[in-house]
Amino acid sequence: MNAGGTTPPARPQVRALNCPHCGAALTLRSFNNAVTVVCESCHSILDAKDPNLQILQQFKASVDEKPLIPLGSRGKIRGTDYEVIGFQRRTIHVDGEPYSWHEYVLFNPYKGFRYLTEYNGHWNDVGILKALPETVPNASPPKVKYLGETYRHFQTAKAGTSFVLGEFPWQVRVGEAEVVTDYVSPPRVLSSEQTGHGITWSMGEYLSGKDIWRAFHLPGNPPEPVGVYENQPSPLSSDTMSIWVAFAGFALAIVVMMIAFDMTASKREIFNGYYKFDSNARGDASFVTEEFELSGHSSNVEVNTSTDLNNRWMYLNYALINEETGQAFDFSREVSYYHGYDSDGAWSEGNANDSVAVPKVPPGRYYLRVEPEGDPGYGVTYYTINLKRDVPQYSLYALAFGVLLLPAILLTWRTLSFEHMRWSESDHPPISLNTGDDE
Amino acid sequence: MIRILYVVYGAAVLLGLGVAQYQGWSLATVNEVKNVPRSVRDNPGSYRSVYGAYHHYTGGK
Repeated sequence: MNAGGTTPPARPQVRALNCPHCGAALTLRSFNNAVTVVCESCHSILDAKDPNLQILQQFKASVDEKPLIPLGSRGKIRGTDYEVIGFQRRTIHVDGEPYSWHEYVLFNPYKGFRYLTEYNGHWNDVGILKALPETVPNASPPKVKYLGETYRHFQTAKAGTSFVLGEFPWQVRVGEAEVVTDYVSPPRVLSSEQTGHGITWSMGEYLSGKDIWRAFHLPGNPPEPVGVYENQPSPLSSDTMSIWVAFAGFALAIVVMMIAFDMTASKREIFNGYYKFDSNARGDASFVTEEFELSGHSSNVEVNTSTDLNNRWMYLNYALINEETGQAFDFSREVSYYHGYDSDGAWSEGNANDSVAVPKVPPGRYYLRVEPEGDPGYGVTYYTINLKRDVPQYSLYALAFGVLLLPAILLTWRTLSFEHMRWSESDHPPISLNTGDDE
Repeated sequence: MIRILYVVYGAAVLLGLGVAQYQGWSLATVNEVKNVPRSVRDNPGSYRSVYGAYHHYTGGK
């Protein structure tokens, strides 16, 4: 928007005039502060400073725009009452495509002018800067600093005025164009407008349509915002940081729990047996171990199988059976170890040793039924079965870590997607991860 | 709001982790069988493992 010079406060007063072109009644709401006024009937742009309201320009509106906030509406913005006195549509062209937004001129006789902008349901409350932002040297993309805050260059484009209505504190003309440069630091945006007279800087702060509707007591609902706007604050960015902080706390708690459970777990050996399995032998290979006592509260039993397998496999059907209750924990393990050389060099697969934790085994007297299997022709395999009670399971810590990490990653991904959508509309679009053929 | 939800969620995960470690949970697949006859002690071959018909891997390159 153009600079609107603020004159000393004038008494709020409405001045009634007539358009010199069509004779329609005109209303000057900002009284002496208006520089140009536009006739709503014939779209003549008139010189408000001229007692005869000299016609400066006449334009034909291709589309008769109706402001979402009607001229003359009054509302409170940041604690100050303002009246909507002017409205304009401005358009930029990017890659041949026109993009238009709307600007509302607000006036308060004591505070002067203020502006509202609206693009696709995104609103900004805009005021003219009284000091100049500093350019950050050698920044790429360009950056400026204002009141200690750094703003990153978003877009530079030539914005043309394509429709006007009401009063303006500057010499407005349809068809005039200025170079507009936006720097963003959500929820704020700094805009510079380069005209023949110099550069005007303004600062906008993002507002929701609901805030505008509430401020101006407008009926119905504001239009829903479409897409992500240049200075729209990310709804998740503050949450993302705090969730990562919380995640770090939880990760630390997991480490503390791991140390505590590792120190307090009994990891007591309750059985150890050395066995031989001959796959060539006929008959039933199954056997049971001697009994052993599982004491304490319900906990796991870790079954470790160590074999001398070499390019062979072995399958073990296990059943941990409570002698008193007849409750059995039935599970099986395949142990295999293969290795060799091929054109890629040495390779190996599997492991001659195996470990599994049987969960939540109540205390009592138990024995283990073992049924080994193997390919006939393998011959003899020697193996050891070792049982331990109450062994911490590190896989559970890893699972908890993953379960805690997932929401943080999802939230970060959503935040990054939001920023990606924001910057994809800028002069500095992020590099797309999509490397596929889009054509 | 999201932060509060995440803290509650995280606390529940840690509580679950503590209970799981105390009770000795594991990620292993184990089938619980009730009322295994005492005769298995003397005749191990009479027990039929649910994994007995598993198709065995014969591995290697």
